[in-house]
Amino acid sequence: SHIFKKNEDLTKAWKGKTEQLLKIDEHDFTMRPAFGGPAIPVGVDVQVESLDSISEVDMDFTMTLYLRHYWKDERLSFPSTNNKSRTFDGRLVEKIWVPDVFFVHSKRSFIHDTTTDNIMLRVFPDGHVLYSMRVTVTAMCNMDFSRFPLDSQTCSLELESYAYTDEDLMLYWKNGNESLKTDEKISLSQFLIQKFHTTSRLAFYSSTGWYNRLYINFTLRRHIFFFLLQTYFPATLMVMLSWVSFWIDRRAVPARVSLGITTVLTMSTIITGVNASMPRVSYIKAVDIYLWVSFVFVFLSVLEYAAVNYLTTVQERKERKLRERFSCSCGIPHSKTMMLDGNYSESDANSLAGYTRNQMVPEEEKPEKVVVHLAMSNESNSSRKRGLKGHVGLRIIQNTHAIDKYSRLIFPGTYIVFNLIYWSVFS
Amino acid sequence: SKREIKMRKLDSTKVRPLKSEQLLHIEDHDFALRPGFGGSPIPVGIDVQVESIDSISEVDMDFTMTLYLRHYWKDERLSFRSNKNKSMTFDGRLIKKIWVPDVFFVHSKRSFIHDTTVENIMLRVYPDGNVLFSLRITVSAMCFMDFSRFPLDTQNCSLELESYAYNEDDLMLYWKHGNKSLSTDEHISLSQFFIEEFSASSGLAFYSSTGWYNRLFINFALRRHIFFFVLQSYFPAMLMVMLSWVSFWIDRRAVPARVSLGITTVLTMSTIMTGVSASMPQVSYIKAVDVYLWISFLFVFLSVIEYAAVNYLTTIEERKQLKKRGKASGMYSMDAVQAMAFDGCFHDTDVDMDLTPFPEPCEENETRTSQTNISNADTPRLRRKRSLKGNVGRIILQNNHVIDTYSRIIFPSVYIVFNFFYWGLYM
Repeated sequence: SHIFKKNEDLTKAWKGKTEQLLKIDEHDFTMRPAFGGPAIPVGVDVQVESLDSISEVDMDFTMTLYLRHYWKDERLSFPSTNNKSRTFDGRLVEKIWVPDVFFVHSKRSFIHDTTTDNIMLRVFPDGHVLYSMRVTVTAMCNMDFSRFPLDSQTCSLELESYAYTDEDLMLYWKNGNESLKTDEKISLSQFLIQKFHTTSRLAFYSSTGWYNRLYINFTLRRHIFFFLLQTYFPATLMVMLSWVSFWIDRRAVPARVSLGITTVLTMSTIITGVNASMPRVSYIKAVDIYLWVSFVFVFLSVLEYAAVNYLTTVQERKERKLRERFSCSCGIPHSKTMMLDGNYSESDANSLAGYTRNQMVPEEEKPEKVVVHLAMSNESNSSRKRGLKGHVGLRIIQNTHAIDKYSRLIFPGTYIVFNLIYWSVFS
Repeated sequence: SKREIKMRKLDSTKVRPLKSEQLLHIEDHDFALRPGFGGSPIPVGIDVQVESIDSISEVDMDFTMTLYLRHYWKDERLSFRSNKNKSMTFDGRLIKKIWVPDVFFVHSKRSFIHDTTVENIMLRVYPDGNVLFSLRITVSAMCFMDFSRFPLDTQNCSLELESYAYNEDDLMLYWKHGNKSLSTDEHISLSQFFIEEFSASSGLAFYSSTGWYNRLFINFALRRHIFFFVLQSYFPAMLMVMLSWVSFWIDRRAVPARVSLGITTVLTMSTIMTGVSASMPQVSYIKAVDVYLWISFLFVFLSVIEYAAVNYLTTIEERKQLKKRGKASGMYSMDAVQAMAFDGCFHDTDVDMDLTPFPEPCEENETRTSQTNISNADTPRLRRKRSLKGNVGRIILQNNHVIDTYSRIIFPSVYIVFNFFYWGLYM
């Protein structure tokens, strides 16, 4: 009678049917199958759902994948007539042993848990287990930006067991190279995903031994169109705009100076804009080369006009001194003296066509005028002769706008050559 | 009575102990008591493998590091009989039932143990009771940074480990292999810094309320790569200063040109300075890059002031000459300089100008100048006579471009000297 009553008020929880089926009571989840014996082989299968983002600044990528483990645990075998697998709730994972795979070099990761933990546990009657979960992982990827934005990055996600060395747990790709599958629609806005493939290796830790490591490798090729539109095209337009300055009259000083300086300012703004979204690397990137060479072109166009202006001023001062020496200015009207500067054609300087226009000239100066004028014509002749004697500088001063003429050809020619070299090297 | 005892054993409410628990005598193991409780302090060896330094943030003054943290200690309560003397690896969930050291990171802001796919924990027990306990942790810790030499600076940061509860009478924390306890992955690298050295050190920390604690330090020095800042800040600033010197070579009569050149370079310098401060903490001292940018700004500013002086003195000179000549009927005989300033056209000699608000195009002005030949002939002579009287002040006024001539030499040489001082001092 005593005993009978004690049996009825059992305080122990009624065992769940699963636990009876899989003998969870006797299953020690802290010990791996074949504990103390040979290594247990665990097959891995991955289906990549999406590549969420690639970050240049952080040098990492975020991937969502279905990770499936296959192993055999005889402690979980159960009798069955039709040899079909049984699917259990994910919460049973807490009570059995599962492989402790982790992602090496991952920064953040989590198992999705909406609406419940995204975990699947399927046990076959002979003890084979299929354990699947949906994981999002952010992992490091060393990127090399020396050819940015014409670059290709190779990243890899690494799986390894945390505690068990290769003597305890052998991690392998279940179907070799076919173990990695991707959703059809997987695509990134900025990159073209070239290929996904799997490899495996052994990794050595000096304190803890050799571990099996599985790799998911993929190569990404960047789409250049965005950078063409955002960076290359504006830079090229700015350089072309700076060439407009060579076609404007050199007497229009404010115009040419402000054209030059505003293109420099715009190039500076474009350069700052590119570096805002880039990591601060210690080497030069392909886009930096293009922008800085363009900047140098624009800068040189400003310097070119400074040279033109300076030489024009020098020449003008010389002409003035020349005119002051023959102080009457020879009755040549100012419109004609203007021509002496070389602004228009120089042919009129030797003519006496405008000589008779002036009536204000005092009488006594007339003979001097003729003499002086002839002397002036000699002067201009001899100045040309002086040029022929090797005073190259003087000839260039007289034809200052020759610098402009040459620049109109040299600047575009050099820029086109640079472009040909650049695109053939980096493409 | 004997029968009663037997029945009680059958309906035991206690869960049957797991095999590992039987192996390690978990039932008798009180995880609240440290090994050697009440006796001498237990020595706990520490070994660290740094996986990566994820990021260094100047604004927050912290760094983020991912590392494998391994603890080694001896707990005789966990010893078990074994004929092979090999260690046994257990599932990470077993640590909830045994005593583990309570190491924490002093001055850390955020940290977490990675938990995908399971908690990244390894527990390995040797037959004699030695335990190896390994974790994979990401920790963000404070690092006090000194930016007075930014970006030519070197930062020293350290990660500090300490036991939270046990002072040195209870737990002795030490580096397991001395200086070699700290190892790093081969690929460890940062984009912006060069990692100079990793070193391990230890010390004692005193808390007035709780006593002396062992503290272990992971020290590393980071040297910043300057290339990015040379490209982003120093080089544009230098180019802007050089561009401001171009103004000294342009004819002083080109007022709009020189003013817009000067003011646009000031604007670009201002933009560069704002760009640098955007990604920096707001410190109360001056940084090396600030010194450079502000002095370059000063140079550019002075070039604008220089032209204002030149223009002002030119105007004074013109006003004096205007007073001497008196006013002609409705038309002003103006020197070429003032005429140029007025309508922006090139004038080589003195002209008569109709000072209407909207000047006519350049050619018509020149034809009108044919009336004033006589006065032009005299003025050069008069000008020279006045200068021979020895009025030094007036010589400077008359040859205003002397300021320009000196500036062309002074500004570049002072800037080059400044550069020598700056780079010699900071490098």
